[in-house]
Amino acid sequence: MAGKKVPFYEEFVVFSRKTPTSPCQEQFTLLAPNHEIALVMAQENFMRREKVCDIWVVKRSDIRCMTPEERKTLNRIDNKDYRNTKGYGYLAKFWRKLDQGMLDEKEILSWSKGRVVE
Amino acid sequence: MAVSVRDAEKVKYREFMERIEAGEKIEADDWMPDDYRQALIKLISMHGISEIMGALPEKEWTPKAPTLYRKLAIMAKVQDEVGHGQLLLRVAEDLIKPYGKTREDLIQDLFAGRLKFHNVFHWKTKSWADAGLIGWLVDGAAIITQTNMLDCSYAPYARALKRIAAEEVFHAQHGEAIAVALATGTEEQKEMLQDALNRWWPALLMFFGPPTAELTGSSKQEITIKYKIRKNTNEELRQFYLTKYVPRIQGLGLTIPDETLRWDDEKKEWIYKQPDWNLFLKITRNEGPMSQERLRLRRLSYENNAWVREALGLNTKIFAS
Amino acid sequence: MKPQYKEEVIELLYQLADDDLLVSYRGSEWLGLVPHIEEDVAYSSITQNTMGHANIYYSLLEELGEGKVDDLAHLRPAGERKNAIILEEKNGPGHWLYGEPRYDWAFTVVRNYFYEAIKKRKIDSLKQSSYEPLRQVAVKIDTEIPYHLMHWRTWFEQLVRAGGEAEERMKAAVARVWEDIGGVLSLGPNEEKIVEAGLIESEAVLKERFLEDINKKFTELGLKMPGEPGMKKGDGRAGFHTEDLEEALAQLSEVYALNPAVPW
Ligand SMILES: [Fe+2]
Ligand SMILES: [Fe+2]
Repeated sequence: MAGKKVPFYEEFVVFSRKTPTSPCQEQFTLLAPNHEIALVMAQENFMRREKVCDIWVVKRSDIRCMTPEERKTLNRIDNKDYRNTKGYGYLAKFWRKLDQGMLDEKEILSWSKGRVVE
Repeated sequence: MAVSVRDAEKVKYREFMERIEAGEKIEADDWMPDDYRQALIKLISMHGISEIMGALPEKEWTPKAPTLYRKLAIMAKVQDEVGHGQLLLRVAEDLIKPYGKTREDLIQDLFAGRLKFHNVFHWKTKSWADAGLIGWLVDGAAIITQTNMLDCSYAPYARALKRIAAEEVFHAQHGEAIAVALATGTEEQKEMLQDALNRWWPALLMFFGPPTAELTGSSKQEITIKYKIRKNTNEELRQFYLTKYVPRIQGLGLTIPDETLRWDDEKKEWIYKQPDWNLFLKITRNEGPMSQERLRLRRLSYENNAWVREALGLNTKIFAS
Repeated sequence: MKPQYKEEVIELLYQLADDDLLVSYRGSEWLGLVPHIEEDVAYSSITQNTMGHANIYYSLLEELGEGKVDDLAHLRPAGERKNAIILEEKNGPGHWLYGEPRYDWAFTVVRNYFYEAIKKRKIDSLKQSSYEPLRQVAVKIDTEIPYHLMHWRTWFEQLVRAGGEAEERMKAAVARVWEDIGGVLSLGPNEEKIVEAGLIESEAVLKERFLEDINKKFTELGLKMPGEPGMKKGDGRAGFHTEDLEEALAQLSEVYALNPAVPW
């Protein structure tokens, strides 16, 4: 009993994808001896009530997280309207006068239906 | 024995087509017929490398953009385009991996003329209005093409396109903002924009490729539609583009340099003057107005930076800690 | 505000604004030509942040009645520019854009790393500035510096550690940048008055802190400290500049100068 402590199982982080085009989402972590065992336990541990189309398990030691010091590099000044649609909202009014709509997200994503002749 | 292998292939193919027709998505490691993989490699590596090469015409105006706001905006826009290249090349790289190929091979293919970049990025830019027009109308054409593949059967490509489409909303508005500023500005500014349109109009029509295979001798249209990679043909996309953009162009008070351009209500289509498809063919052989200059610039920067890639590529072990 | 004090504020703001403008202008030239596609995207954000900082400083100058932000950024002739010479220098031999440009990544990494290291020390000092608006701006700009520093420090370390050609190139770039990095530390001919006004700490203090940072890094990497930071080509704060600045200004103002009075 007082002998050497045997190394216990490895930590794995479980990720899942809801649909083929949705981003992968972190679920939680679990302990397992290897990838294969981690994978066969993942769904029933974290997605019992959720349907997903793919699961990933990643050894936690393979994930390079940021140190608290490094997390400070994530702050930004709120002066970047130029790269957002926010900076161009005034165009809507301009196009309305010309009977044209705004090329906003709704309009542009609707083009995915392709050409439909009315 | 041989027969049963072929039968097994046939079954796989039938199952694959059933998945495609049911609107299911294919992942990189799923079984796929060879012509599907080949069509994807061709399409996506060309798309990716075109984003990278397409950064150049706008880059020509990035440090020159008139105000700090425009400088920042066009930088962010060109940065996005390089980022699109990154996303798409990653998708292509995963597809060529079974052949032992990497990004390096794609770049070498570009230099050797085996991998082509999109015909619209072989044209000259002349003024700031060209930068605006590219953002407005070239991106507009690209958005039409790219959104047409948003529901693509190949999941990694669909995921990349989803990210791209979200950014293209900003591109569309950024381009329009420049065009609107010029169109509502001084006579000089208006002329600048009209002149840009005059020069770019044929390029915009060519953007979608020839209407039929006979015109160019080759077309991957059928296969991409059959495998649900895209929905519409070249001509349908061009028609869609004209429907969306002709009223906006004219709304800005610009004249489209084609007197024959009109909407035919009976045929339910636009009638327009065909661009010079021989020039198109020349461009596809890298003989366009700026093909060689832009390839040269790309090659020069690639060679010039080789030491950086070597330094970090060969020393990956030292840095693991 | 006393006229004398205002003069010193304006002087310092031009130095800060022009430094950020020129270094970000050189960054904008790199876009699309960076050694690695992923790095191209990352570097551009730093360039945009930095041009954003220039914009913030020019806005303070506009508030002080110096003129429109875009006039200040685009129309002032080379002789009136206050940026350090090392920041205006071209990215490498050759010409914009189809004139066989050979941009030097080692020079770029070293220039940016040293620049951000000094900028960090200056910003920390400006957070105690006697001029309230500058104090506020320093706090704001400080939020983006950690990323810039980490980014360039990482590139610096890795290329030096790579050994071989990369290490040689990096050492050559260090030697070159060092000859003129003093220009970034310089507060110009009016240093005394600027410091007396409590706007920022002295050049000597800033230099000491910067050397402390660099010394630590160099020791870690086994690099030799190159001695006193130089100002071989002259002090940009005093209006000395090179042809590279003329060329840069011609480019960056080409379109705006067509008609600065109208919206673009
Ligand atoms: Fe794009
Ligand atoms: Fe775009």
